[in-house]
Amino acid sequence: MIADALRGKTILVTGSTGFLGKSIVEKCLRSIPDIARINLAIRSSARRPAGERLQREVLSSPAFKRLKDQLGEDGFAKLAREKLAVVEIDLGRDGLGLSEQGREQLRACDVVIHSAAAVEFDNPADLSAQTNLLGAARLVEALKASGVRPHLVHISTAYVGGMLRGQVREESPLDPGLNWRHEAEVLTRLRGPVEEESRRPEVLNRLNREARSRMGPAGTPAVARATERLRDRWVKDRLIERGRVHANAMGFSDIYSFTKAMAEHAVVELHGDIPLSIVRPSIIESALDEPSPGWLEGFRMAEPLILAFGRGVLQDFSGLPDSLLDIIPADFVVNTVLAVAANRPPDAEPRVYHAASGTRNPLRFRRIVNEADHYFTEHPLRDRYGQAIGTPSWTYPTRQEMATRARTALRFVEAAQWVVERLPLGASVAQMSDDLTAERDRLDRGLNLIQLYGVYTEVDCIFDTRHVMELWDQVPAAERKTFPFDPALYDWTHYFQDVHFPTVVRMSRAETVARKGKQPSGSTSPKAETSSVRAAIERRSGRNDVLAVFDVDGTLVETNVVEYFLWMRLRAQPLEDWPAFMADMLRKGPRWLFLERRSRAEFQRSFYREYDRLDPEVMKRLGREALDAVTLRRIYPEGMRRIREHKRAGHRVLLLTGALDVVVEPLAELLDVEVDCAHLLLKDGRLTGDLQSPPPAGEARSALLEEYAERNGVALAESFAYADSLSDLPMLEMVGTPVAVNPDARLSQVAGQRGWRVERWRMAPGNWRLPMPDPRSPEYLEAVRR
Amino acid sequence: MPRPGAVIEVDRNTPPVLFHFGEGIRLEKLPLGARIVYPPDPLEPIAHPERAIKRALAKPLEDDPLKSLLRRGMKLTIAFDDLSLPLPPMAAPDVRQLVMEEVIDMAAEAGIDDLHIIAALGLHRRMTEDELRHIVGERIFSTFHPDRLYQHDGEDPENNVYVGKTAKGEEVTLNRRAAESDLVIYVNLTLVPMDGGHKSMSTGLASFRSIRVHHNAKTLLASRSYMNPPDSALHHSCIRQGQLIEDTVRVFHIETTVNNHAFPAIANFMQKRETDWTAQDQAMFLATKQMTDLAPPAFKRNVFHAMRAPYGMTAVHAGQVDAVHDKTLEAVHKQINVPVEGQTDIVTMGVPYLGPYNVNAPMNPILVVCMGLGYLFNFYRNKPVLRKGGVLILTHPCRYEFDAVQHPSYIDYYDEVLADTTDPIAIEEKYEVRFAEDPWFRQLYRKSHAYHGIHPHYAWIWAAHAMEHAGDIIFVGADRDVVHRLGFKCATTLEDAFEMAEQTVGRYPSITHLRMPPIMLADVE
Repeated sequence: MIADALRGKTILVTGSTGFLGKSIVEKCLRSIPDIARINLAIRSSARRPAGERLQREVLSSPAFKRLKDQLGEDGFAKLAREKLAVVEIDLGRDGLGLSEQGREQLRACDVVIHSAAAVEFDNPADLSAQTNLLGAARLVEALKASGVRPHLVHISTAYVGGMLRGQVREESPLDPGLNWRHEAEVLTRLRGPVEEESRRPEVLNRLNREARSRMGPAGTPAVARATERLRDRWVKDRLIERGRVHANAMGFSDIYSFTKAMAEHAVVELHGDIPLSIVRPSIIESALDEPSPGWLEGFRMAEPLILAFGRGVLQDFSGLPDSLLDIIPADFVVNTVLAVAANRPPDAEPRVYHAASGTRNPLRFRRIVNEADHYFTEHPLRDRYGQAIGTPSWTYPTRQEMATRARTALRFVEAAQWVVERLPLGASVAQMSDDLTAERDRLDRGLNLIQLYGVYTEVDCIFDTRHVMELWDQVPAAERKTFPFDPALYDWTHYFQDVHFPTVVRMSRAETVARKGKQPSGSTSPKAETSSVRAAIERRSGRNDVLAVFDVDGTLVETNVVEYFLWMRLRAQPLEDWPAFMADMLRKGPRWLFLERRSRAEFQRSFYREYDRLDPEVMKRLGREALDAVTLRRIYPEGMRRIREHKRAGHRVLLLTGALDVVVEPLAELLDVEVDCAHLLLKDGRLTGDLQSPPPAGEARSALLEEYAERNGVALAESFAYADSLSDLPMLEMVGTPVAVNPDARLSQVAGQRGWRVERWRMAPGNWRLPMPDPRSPEYLEAVRR
Repeated sequence: MPRPGAVIEVDRNTPPVLFHFGEGIRLEKLPLGARIVYPPDPLEPIAHPERAIKRALAKPLEDDPLKSLLRRGMKLTIAFDDLSLPLPPMAAPDVRQLVMEEVIDMAAEAGIDDLHIIAALGLHRRMTEDELRHIVGERIFSTFHPDRLYQHDGEDPENNVYVGKTAKGEEVTLNRRAAESDLVIYVNLTLVPMDGGHKSMSTGLASFRSIRVHHNAKTLLASRSYMNPPDSALHHSCIRQGQLIEDTVRVFHIETTVNNHAFPAIANFMQKRETDWTAQDQAMFLATKQMTDLAPPAFKRNVFHAMRAPYGMTAVHAGQVDAVHDKTLEAVHKQINVPVEGQTDIVTMGVPYLGPYNVNAPMNPILVVCMGLGYLFNFYRNKPVLRKGGVLILTHPCRYEFDAVQHPSYIDYYDEVLADTTDPIAIEEKYEVRFAEDPWFRQLYRKSHAYHGIHPHYAWIWAAHAMEHAGDIIFVGADRDVVHRLGFKCATTLEDAFEMAEQTVGRYPSITHLRMPPIMLADVE
């Protein structure tokens, strides 16, 4: 019935780069050999023309593996050439942006299957309205304009009825009295006002404050970029929220089903004399048999939940355990669509078909959880030690309870993180901060799952499938094997245990084996320390256009500009002046801490005023003494080793620091490397507290580095940078191999996000001393006397 | 009369014996029948050192009186031993100060202007001004520092000259100033038989090029022990080099020896045998033990390193190097020799807080090995107290700590080299040149106060003989990870160490405890 009806027909499939579209194309190619032609509506994207998208996004999909195995690569290519054609169609434009040739192709179509949609539940409102609602309307208008009357199969969703109870019939969806044109108009124009709102001073200031608190020391451009990212995110979040709230208020679970419902109204209103069938699948999951058992693309609805269950992330979940969760395998939906396509309605009256399992093979929420429990007990996921993760037992609280619990926990974590990031402890809290970030992400994910999917586990309705079953009754026994679409044909246990769960686990690439190969051997023989940075140095050895740039304070030496100052000043004054001097320093401390947090440059400016009216010669001599007394004692041996490795590899080495020349130059001299540091202006042979040039912090550092690279012909993309603080971010960003050494909490986060190498270097143990000279030593006494 | 050293057997009434334990102490009960070897008591020092010095200079051995060697307009250089001697540092005035003041006075009388004083530190670290001042005294320091009192730099390309090759092909280099002087006066302090003689010039004023000739695993494995020059390949090599130097430049040697009064009154219990402890010593022991058990390491280190030894001079000789050194060794042996009959299966020793290379610094793990398996083990004549294949048990906390200023190359040696292999010969092949020529370590040696890059290797091979000789080496009370890195075994208590030794030496081994320091030389028959 199906193959015969479609023999010699030309069909058009929209959304063929999507999961369902692809499956439909594949099934037609494989099971309807006499089909005349399949036109694939594909839009040229910014990066790829439509033809290339066909190859890369459709034909290379594993969906076609079965066909390729049957026909061989060449046979498949031949078949594709014969049967497939690309029609450039842009559903985002009125008239679909059709060329003359495209119009021709459209006119040749006997069946149009509209499966293009933005299926994510949390898309921004404007995007959903554009794609789902206006896209469908434009397609119908274009068909009408072309003058032909192909059979239009509109693929919708079973949830267009909203959150109903009881039986949902195969007829027009819930209509809360909305005009779809008006809805489309309002929703698609939302972005403008929201964008505008995001630029209002109170919003922008808040975002800017947040960006500054996260990225402040990294300099103005970094803060600006962060602000823009936050604003973009804010706009998207608002649009998502708008969509969700609106959909909820209108009685829908999410923006997806809302816009799909509006689209149905539009299509029904516009179709005129075009024969129209509407297929409403429920929740589409991996294919039962075709093209291969478990064929699935992208994570859809239940997968994140299943994985969260298997990973033990969701210790509990809301929902009604006895509610029907309507899941339908993808190949059954494909077959339903094809059966519908083969049955052109005799009149202009639209026909609705539910591709759902609820009536024929009901599946209750508790059953899925039990199946998952069974599956993950048999095939547990593994944590990073290779231990099996136990499965949780869910108690099904209400969604509100769950959400409140998660939100409270989230607030605690956020508060803790706020505190931790503001502690003036540098690298020592980085680990704690990273842990908090991970915990926050986990809670965020859980909350998101609850918000998005919780509704579906509370559905108390059943989708009527009378029309589909009427179709099924017409299918002759011979074709029932080729195009099965009666959900009663399979068993859920088989589906979950053998098909769906294995697919989900495989796709998530979760660890399921105790350990690669075998159990740990228990060997305690020392393992060679490996550093990917060292390997990179090796690879680029012998190249003199490679630079290794090192920050000094905190990266090579465990100290900061304040400690040097303290040491040098204490060294130069008699013991009885120490208390007054220390009291003065303590009084100024909090202000410096505050400035340092805001911006390293501001801090340095302010701090270097302390050098006002000091004798440069004396400071130079003290700086040299500080080398032995402070610097060399607090140096990181790993850092010194790394510098030497770079030098051995023939790289240039540059110390780029905001510390003063008097303390850094002796070290650089000893290391025999170049140095770029801060210099103070002289006046009447005395130091002033003013800098000769802006302090090399934040973006000034990257500018310095850029200039240096240009002057010396350095290939920055091949170069290395080592730094410990967020204020070095612009410098780290410039080079090919950035290394965060003992990063502070904020840099640690950034490094984690960007996959940068993080190294922890330590002082040689037993060398920590207060940064003050030994007042008993004859050397000190004599120096003061002098 | 001071008592000679003694070997006593542990019986029911023997009090527990002191084990040095880094910056701490332990009192251990040894099994019945074990023997304890005690060093001789300190000899009576010379009553008037200045007079003795004057006498020695006026009547040198096999040489003319110093006065007759000094003449106006000559280029005179005084070289002296660095702060690795004596240990602990001597309470002021240091004997070297007394000798040098005498020599300088004579030079001034002779109208010599061109006088340089060089610390002959070889590849050791440069001393700080305070340390230098302590050795030479305020008078010399303020007169000559920094232009005419300075420290030898074995890596200075300008100021080291190549002297030639010995008959056995050993290269010799020398400090340029010394090589170009009309007369070099070497002021030495000999604490142990390893020091002094030709070794003073051939290592103290040399460079890596000439020191590597005898500071290598092969030579040290052939030195049984280097505390006994006649049996020491190290010394044979030094003598050949020294003779070549004496052919090049006129050297006048002044060697001094001190007694073994290593501990000040406050730590008298460390100096005395446990059988002699008075109530006051007991109390001091208890107080010290409490302090070292509770105090943080840095505090303990400050306390211990502040100790100055009340050494007394026991001999001073001047003149021709061999004649002088024979007399010097005679004096040293008189102070430290203890006759010991036969070897034992187990030898126990406490490693103290201080060795030659960690003055004013923590004793890092490599230096612990150097001190325990190097110096302490090698204090023997004839044959080791430990039988071949016996078990050596040492007590030291062996913490993972390094002085970043003095021992930077030790950190890399520990982190990189010892993680790779602990075999001295394999290390030498693979790493000797890399560490010796590392530019960063060279800079730190020359400009800061760091030991030469190769020095950790010398510290390590100093123990090569012990590692080869002992069947098992166990550290008591040490940091386990560190001891494993060093390639040895670790026990929590001495009893456990004996228990572990059973596998190697059986149920009823013979045991000797060498109660050092104060130092002694076991003359094993």
